[in-house]
Amino acid sequence: MNRFELLKSLQPMLQDNLIVCNIGIPSQELYHINDQPNYFYMLGSMGLASSIGLGLSLSVDKNVISIDGDGSVLMNMNTLATVGNRAPNNYTLLIIDNSSYGSTGDQKTFTDEKTNLKEVAIGAGCRNVIECNGSDTPSNLEKALGDKNNSYVIISKINSGNVAVKPIPINPITIRDRFRKIIGKVDYLK
Amino acid sequence: MRISKTIISYLKKGGADFFLSVPCKLLANMIAILENDKDVFYSAIPREEEGMGICAGAYLGNKLPCIMMQNSGIGNAVNSIVSLLQLYQMPVVFLISYRGTPGELVGAQAGMAKVTKEILQTLRIPMLHCSSEKDLDKISTFTAYAKVIENPVAILCDFNLMKED
Ligand SMILES: [Mg+2]
Repeated sequence: MNRFELLKSLQPMLQDNLIVCNIGIPSQELYHINDQPNYFYMLGSMGLASSIGLGLSLSVDKNVISIDGDGSVLMNMNTLATVGNRAPNNYTLLIIDNSSYGSTGDQKTFTDEKTNLKEVAIGAGCRNVIECNGSDTPSNLEKALGDKNNSYVIISKINSGNVAVKPIPINPITIRDRFRKIIGKVDYLK
Repeated sequence: MRISKTIISYLKKGGADFFLSVPCKLLANMIAILENDKDVFYSAIPREEEGMGICAGAYLGNKLPCIMMQNSGIGNAVNSIVSLLQLYQMPVVFLISYRGTPGELVGAQAGMAKVTKEILQTLRIPMLHCSSEKDLDKISTFTAYAKVIENPVAILCDFNLMKED
């Protein structure tokens, strides 16, 4: 299974939740599979998908899912310590681990060698860390979303590879405003 | 403690309701105040760049975030400021302990002190430089200003202002 197929299979679980999606091809694939206003697409700042989702989950009651990647987590690894110590129960971090820098030409990351993100996450303080293959990811995500008493980190081990899609044709302020409107607290947008 | 109390109360008066810090000795009193404040979220975090991401999320969730850090933290966070906070126009207040300014005891801090304002200017971030107690009452308006312009703003607190607090 590659990322595109995984993102497709997750669509039913993403609809009622707030989604923060990693920069580059992950966001582009998600956009082309099923663009929704509750999807916040990152257009810059590689590494911060987990952090943006965390800040959001600390500020709203809805379930928040950060869709991150192995390369991005490796770039902002301290995030696992912050998630481990501060993530509220409405936060799920889904790390799509294809052992590859998918957006920059599929160069191998360290998870292809010695680095094990599950062990890093546990060592950083995360409880409820699940590592699974792509086809088991939807059921694990469903479990995480259904558990109102725990935050989860899910590491989905899939194959590398991208589907050829175009860049996201909506501007950042539009992405921001329609996302905030879903949250429903922005007076001037009503 | 008086100055730290004043700063926090003006930040809150300006609307800030979500606080992070990458600790600094000069921020220690403010951190102690926030740790005991039940009205707002506060946490220390490991790195400023990550903090910009957390602040971005908090803003999306309708908070007005404030991140407290040393000026060295601006160096750690430049891309996240430009490619996240400014790209999506997200208000965040940077409360910066201005290490390396006169009064400083650690010579090595002077390097970042020399370039801090130029970095902020290059990033087109509005600045409020607080060098004495009489500057502090501008903090609430300046905090609210971040929300009006939907962009980050920076408040710099000199070493000598904070050291005796
Ligand atoms: Mg990857």
